[in-house]
Amino acid sequence: MPFVVTDNCTGCRFTDCVEVCPVSCFHGDDDRVYIDPVACIDCAACVPLCPVQAIYEDLDLPEEKEHWTEVNAEKAPTLPKIIKKQPLLEGAEERMEALGFSRDN
Amino acid sequence: MTNVTTTVRGACPQDCPDTCAFIYTVEDGKLKDVKGDPDHPVTRGRLCTKLNDFAAHHNNPDRILYPMKRTGPKGSGEFKRISWDEALEEIKSRWTGIIDEFGPQAIMPVHYLGHQGVLNGLTAGDAFFNRLGSTIAEKTFCGVGREIGTHLSIGGSTGVDPESLVHSKYIILWAVNTLSSGSHHWPFIEEARRNGAKVVVIDPLKSRTAVQSDWHIPIRPGTDAALALGMMNIIISEGLTDAEYIAQHTEGFEELAERAAEYPVDKVSSITGIPEADILTLAREYAGNNPSVIRQGVAIERHRNGGQTARAISCLPALIGAWRHVGGGNLGLTLAPFALDWDAMCRPDWIKEGARVINLHNLGSALNELSDPPLKSVMIYNINPVVQSPNTEMIKKGLSREDLFVVSSELFLTDTAAYADIILPATMQAEQTDVMFSWGHFYWTYNHKAVEAPGEAIPNTELFRRLAELMGFDEPEWKRTDEEMIRDYLDWDSPFMEGITLEDLQKNGYAKVAAGDKDTRTPHAEGNFDTPSGKCEFKSNLAADGTFVPPPFRAGYNGQQLAGYIDPLPGYTPPFESPESAPELSEKFPLNIISPKSHGFLNSQYANEFKQLRREGEPIVIMNPADAKQRGIEDGDAVSVFNDRGSFTGAAKVTDDTMKGVIASFHGHWQKKTGGNGSHKGSVNAVSSERMANLGSAPTYSDILVEVTKISAV
Repeated sequence: MPFVVTDNCTGCRFTDCVEVCPVSCFHGDDDRVYIDPVACIDCAACVPLCPVQAIYEDLDLPEEKEHWTEVNAEKAPTLPKIIKKQPLLEGAEERMEALGFSRDN
Repeated sequence: MTNVTTTVRGACPQDCPDTCAFIYTVEDGKLKDVKGDPDHPVTRGRLCTKLNDFAAHHNNPDRILYPMKRTGPKGSGEFKRISWDEALEEIKSRWTGIIDEFGPQAIMPVHYLGHQGVLNGLTAGDAFFNRLGSTIAEKTFCGVGREIGTHLSIGGSTGVDPESLVHSKYIILWAVNTLSSGSHHWPFIEEARRNGAKVVVIDPLKSRTAVQSDWHIPIRPGTDAALALGMMNIIISEGLTDAEYIAQHTEGFEELAERAAEYPVDKVSSITGIPEADILTLAREYAGNNPSVIRQGVAIERHRNGGQTARAISCLPALIGAWRHVGGGNLGLTLAPFALDWDAMCRPDWIKEGARVINLHNLGSALNELSDPPLKSVMIYNINPVVQSPNTEMIKKGLSREDLFVVSSELFLTDTAAYADIILPATMQAEQTDVMFSWGHFYWTYNHKAVEAPGEAIPNTELFRRLAELMGFDEPEWKRTDEEMIRDYLDWDSPFMEGITLEDLQKNGYAKVAAGDKDTRTPHAEGNFDTPSGKCEFKSNLAADGTFVPPPFRAGYNGQQLAGYIDPLPGYTPPFESPESAPELSEKFPLNIISPKSHGFLNSQYANEFKQLRREGEPIVIMNPADAKQRGIEDGDAVSVFNDRGSFTGAAKVTDDTMKGVIASFHGHWQKKTGGNGSHKGSVNAVSSERMANLGSAPTYSDILVEVTKISAV
């Protein structure tokens, strides 16, 4: 039962998640990252590191985010692995604050 | 009132190679959270899917908090609360009566590594039961066959440091599902891979690890020694050996070469089911890409030829000079540098003349058939044999005996505890002090008591202090505190303990044994094998003494070893339950079952937790489409798996992840009445056998034939 990256990830690229992942299961495009559900070992190490709380265990997804399970499974294998922290996208800090999060939570 | 939040250093208590360093968060005296310590060089702040909810496990409302006495029929799970005094009085009166009538050997501890602590783990009750004069329980559930096999070749080697794997160029993960049962090795493997290493997995099942590897080689269960001998034959005949290393640091090369020549590639292919071209490629790549390393998993031993399989594999590194290189060689159990005074822990000096030893693989038979004296009482702790031991139907039958007095010390009402007459409440890791060794890395880890025990639960150390007082034992050893016991049990003068003090260990939470620097260590570049000759012994000198089980796995006792003949050269013998060895049986039961560890449970632990249960789901029976079709079984069908020993049920998972003729079912599921899931009946060990492998009394969980049928809808 893998973990899933949801909508809050889009447009941020804080990517603290990718360096803690022991199995390098994050893949990314220009806007965001996705978890390869086949590679994910359910360790949950990434969850507390996401400043915008975008990562859920698939069984805990709120109903309106359930489709992200399929999106991650489809997208991840088609994209390159991201294993190093990426440069922050423009406006990411403001976006985080607008979503009601801060670096400290 | 303001909340008081503190953090306390701890250590994962489980029988897992990784032994993570913990940080407990305690709020107003209650355990709020358990996280990994980010500074630990191997476990790096990450736990696993099994342990992530460890605080919830402590606070699980199903915990046994008080002593209990059985009120219903044996196995019914009906109990009433009693006081500690009542429980101890009952134990004293029953044990005293049994000792008077039958002698102390009518009592036996039944225990293993449900907790792995130096204080509360494998040997927690050994001194008590040796003092009592009970039957000695020999425990060889996991790894002893592999280690004896390895020991015959390379002695008590520290092996490759897993942190050195980053230097490896060719990594063979043999009979191990690293990503499910020891995932903290993986970042080192990944780093090696980024440096150009190739990762090969040899496993009958396409495990998570196999999926993530560069090359998965499926193999018929129990035939790995034939593959190792075939690899040797190719390496020797094609001149891929390190002749200088062989000349200087090995013994018996000529004899080994002769033996290996009996395994030409076509024969090996027909035994193992691996295509000839793959065997050739594997042997050539392994020999040609030093530093090559083989990580042998515990599953390597779980069949008739188990010990000799590990022995054959552990000869390979010397043949190609892999030990010359950092990150080259063999990685098995990393226990050798953990300097413990096992005699102080087990007190074999208290064992009386004529002691009786029973291997716990034979628990079912022993409970039902033993005489002179029969078993009249068992005390069960750190183990759940009704789910995890072989031949569970016999065990259940034995535990149901009205004349058998069963004491259980437990965290939860397990399928085994349900058969107890008296249950005693045990503490969980945050509620006790302990220190942990590791069999997968080189760090000691210290566990501070972080919170008070709930109810009347006590650690095993206190349990055996109370029992010692109860039985009138007055030696000063029973009066020691936990910390005094740690000081007595660790061998602080060992060279491996250089630079390590108890105070530092308590303060920092972990400390690496002095076994060399991970980036430079080559323990056997110059030989230095801990064997009679000091060399890697292709032809073993120790074989003449016969097989044995190391004393720590038999309460410190070294008498009455099984002994018997050992082939001094590594060899291949077909499984007990195979067409070659048992043609009639294999017609009746044509499928070979293996029962690997699940991803979500730690053996049967955590299989009563909501999150782990929901992740793991119902018990499944993995089978190849050809086998399923032949039996009219479709994916998701309820099926029964059976042989003459017993049966269990699960949902069929039809997939090419296993080869034709081999089925798999993960072990660990509980019955629903004791906190398990769904409506399945029995456990996978209902079909497994009490037979033992050829070295170290290893189990034969993968050497089992069964048949599968679809369960018709009622």
